[in-house]
Amino acid sequence: MPDIIVKPPNLKELWKLLPGLPSARRYLAGGTDIVTADNAGAEHSECWIDISGIPELLGIKETAGSVFIGSGVKIAEIAASKAARRWCPALTAAIPHFASPSLRNMATLGGNAANASPCADGVCALISEGAYVLLATKGGRRRLPLKDIFLGPKRTTLKKDELITGFEVPKRPHAGAYLKLGPRSYFGISKAAVAVAAELSGGAVKKARVALGSVAPVPLYAAKTSAWLAGRKLSAPVIEEACELVKTEVSPITDTRSEAAYRREMCGVLLGRALNSLR
Amino acid sequence: MKTNSIIEAKKGFFEIALKVNGERRELSVRNGEFLLDALRRHGWKGVKKGCDTGDCGSCTVILNGKPVLGCLVPAVAAHGGELTTIEGLGSVRSPHPLQEAFVEAGAVQCGFCIPGMILSSKHLLDNNPSPTEAEIRKALDGNLCRCTGYVQQVEAVKNAAKKMKRTSN
Repeated sequence: MPDIIVKPPNLKELWKLLPGLPSARRYLAGGTDIVTADNAGAEHSECWIDISGIPELLGIKETAGSVFIGSGVKIAEIAASKAARRWCPALTAAIPHFASPSLRNMATLGGNAANASPCADGVCALISEGAYVLLATKGGRRRLPLKDIFLGPKRTTLKKDELITGFEVPKRPHAGAYLKLGPRSYFGISKAAVAVAAELSGGAVKKARVALGSVAPVPLYAAKTSAWLAGRKLSAPVIEEACELVKTEVSPITDTRSEAAYRREMCGVLLGRALNSLR
Repeated sequence: MKTNSIIEAKKGFFEIALKVNGERRELSVRNGEFLLDALRRHGWKGVKKGCDTGDCGSCTVILNGKPVLGCLVPAVAAHGGELTTIEGLGSVRSPHPLQEAFVEAGAVQCGFCIPGMILSSKHLLDNNPSPTEAEIRKALDGNLCRCTGYVQQVEAVKNAAKKMKRTSN
């Protein structure tokens, strides 16, 4: 643990504090990733900036066109939110798969994104919801499609000190599903995971977004499969073809958790089950 | 410690104030110390240190109404908070219904996972007095037990729920 931990009460104070802090600094939210990495010696910061007290990062708010989920919102809070359940069905479906109940009381959605793990359940689900990420630096704000900020494992396009303030999910009536294949039903890290959100009309897909976890260097938005599904009826042959297509989009590796060929195959299986659940 | 300014350790220690099991306490915690280690050092030995990586659930405590893992919470982050450990639930003379039910069901073998498991169960029953078996298993899925195979523990939570309902009626 670093020698210095600062806890700014709001964003304004945060920007004021930054210039006086050691340059090896990181934001600390729920701590579930950063603390374990620090304990394992995998990363060392001189300073943690505890952002858990910043009110701008808290709460789930519904506006006319979108749902705002603060980056400091705990994973467990999402499951309890009416707005999230109504407008973010894939994200809501992902919550029971996210670590364990106690970790869900600690971990935040912002941390899940900032940690940039390809297996991040919350991120995968949010990408399928078509979410935007809201970023802030001193004197600047950006709003980007969440799917575009990941460069590789643990790497994002975020600039130094740039802070994830929240996520915006456009309000669209859609159905969603999240399926995860791990070593056991709960509290495991996925071998492969699939998130699907689809706007349906009379059995046909108006628009679909498919995202996958643990089968690429980043939480993957399956652009080809998503585009291909648009305008098609969710019939058995269409689902079968989508499952074949999605296997061409992923680039899984063999590691301690699973094997590349198995993971690729399971992407098809999981997508098939997810699409069938939406019919 | 001021929460709105730079917190720096003085001679390697921070002073934090919090409520533990209903009592106001001021604890000096080491720089770099986690809540789990700080609590054990100050005598709350019911908080168990298992994996130290957030996987096993043995160090579960209830912080501000929610079960969290003591091994991942920097002790300073508990400043101003309200904490319940297993010591706050009951005593040998007057155990909590959950503690009774765990003993009666034979849910305790080596006992190492039990404090965390009982605190997770308490949080469940506080929020859902009549859980289904599936709900009990979900609530305990972050508490690993290497002895029992979970059957007796699930049974114990079911029995405790019945007991607690009888006493509240």
